[in-house]
Amino acid sequence: MGGESEDVVRPRRVPRTGRRAQATLEFAVVVPLFLLCLIGALDAGLWAVQTSAEVSAVEQAATVAASAGSNPAAETAPDARAVTAAVAGSLHAALFGTSVAGWCEADSSGACRPDVTAHCPSTPAEVQAAMGPRVVVVCVTEQDPPPCVAPPPGVPSPFPPKCDDSPLITVRVIGFVASFVPPGFGPGATGFELPTDISATTHTLRFAP
Amino acid sequence: MTRRGRRGDDAQAVLETALILPILLLLVCNFIGVMVQVTVQQQLNAATALAAQSRFQAPNNAVDPAGTRCCGADGSRLSTAGLPTGCRYAAETFYGTMTTYTGMLVWQTAPLCTSGGDSGDATHSPLASHAYPGSPGDADVSCDIGSTGAAGVIVAGYLDRTLQPPNGLTVVTCSATTRLDFSKTPLAWGVFWSPTVHAQSEALPPPFRQ
Repeated sequence: MGGESEDVVRPRRVPRTGRRAQATLEFAVVVPLFLLCLIGALDAGLWAVQTSAEVSAVEQAATVAASAGSNPAAETAPDARAVTAAVAGSLHAALFGTSVAGWCEADSSGACRPDVTAHCPSTPAEVQAAMGPRVVVVCVTEQDPPPCVAPPPGVPSPFPPKCDDSPLITVRVIGFVASFVPPGFGPGATGFELPTDISATTHTLRFAP
Repeated sequence: MTRRGRRGDDAQAVLETALILPILLLLVCNFIGVMVQVTVQQQLNAATALAAQSRFQAPNNAVDPAGTRCCGADGSRLSTAGLPTGCRYAAETFYGTMTTYTGMLVWQTAPLCTSGGDSGDATHSPLASHAYPGSPGDADVSCDIGSTGAAGVIVAGYLDRTLQPPNGLTVVTCSATTRLDFSKTPLAWGVFWSPTVHAQSEALPPPFRQ
């Protein structure tokens, strides 16, 4: 009887320990995968919400910037700070964990006109180097047409082509937005951020028949 | 018996993981793919809306002189000589706004400038628009706009009969269609579909032009 009971007990002890180890191992393998998928899905959703807000913001900002210089006889350059302020509220609400700043230098009169040299940061990394992690900047640039000159004989005016165009305004939201991507896994230098670069372009408003 | 059973359990766990892991990654890839599609759709909506509105930033009777080009990476992809300046404004706005995801978008090209479209109603048949003479036919965006050409000849824009009935209102419409090609991205591993995204926007003329 005793020999039989040992035969029954021994085989049970070993598999139970093994099963525990196996369960722990499975848990250790599955949890990171599960978290990877969960965080990936959360980040994709978050990123879509943030990008959506940025697209709306640059569209609104472009409209504001285009109408800011509505008098063609006056200087058409809108104040970049006013454009930033117009969209900062909606951006702040959507880009939680991310700071929103304007990208311009005030002139001697205190106005902050868009940079006519189109010196917006070209990459999110440039913004990060200047402003720190998880910061997006709203950058407004103005592309003025070339001055009109007397056309050569036989060439129709206006010359050169596009010289009587209204200025082209570009509003760009660029930088790194906060995300769940851990350090070392994303394209951001410090982790917990994803790059963004959204822009909208339009001509300034000109009241003409 | 016990060893065989344990080996069987291990094999089962490996098999389960091998089955579940690709499915999980597939789900995440497709979720990201849908998010990208939503984002492109929204950006396309914004680009066509701004393009349609920017037509009114140009004088109604302005025509681009010979040698005028615009758009694209080098700013000279499309020739707009002889076309309404407002059409070029719309194109410049569109191309300047659709600057992201360009590597994965396959555009369905169309004539840049068209005119004469009619939405139609109970008593009028809808009319398709036709391209302006000399309009480039390979543009990523197509805008139906009216203008006042040489010698005061009025070219009809798009007539939306749902506005200001019974005569309708001449408006500007811009439309664009593109296909998302995920095969050029890391998502190609798990996203096997290529959705087509279309946007059409309408801009009403300012009151002094109505």
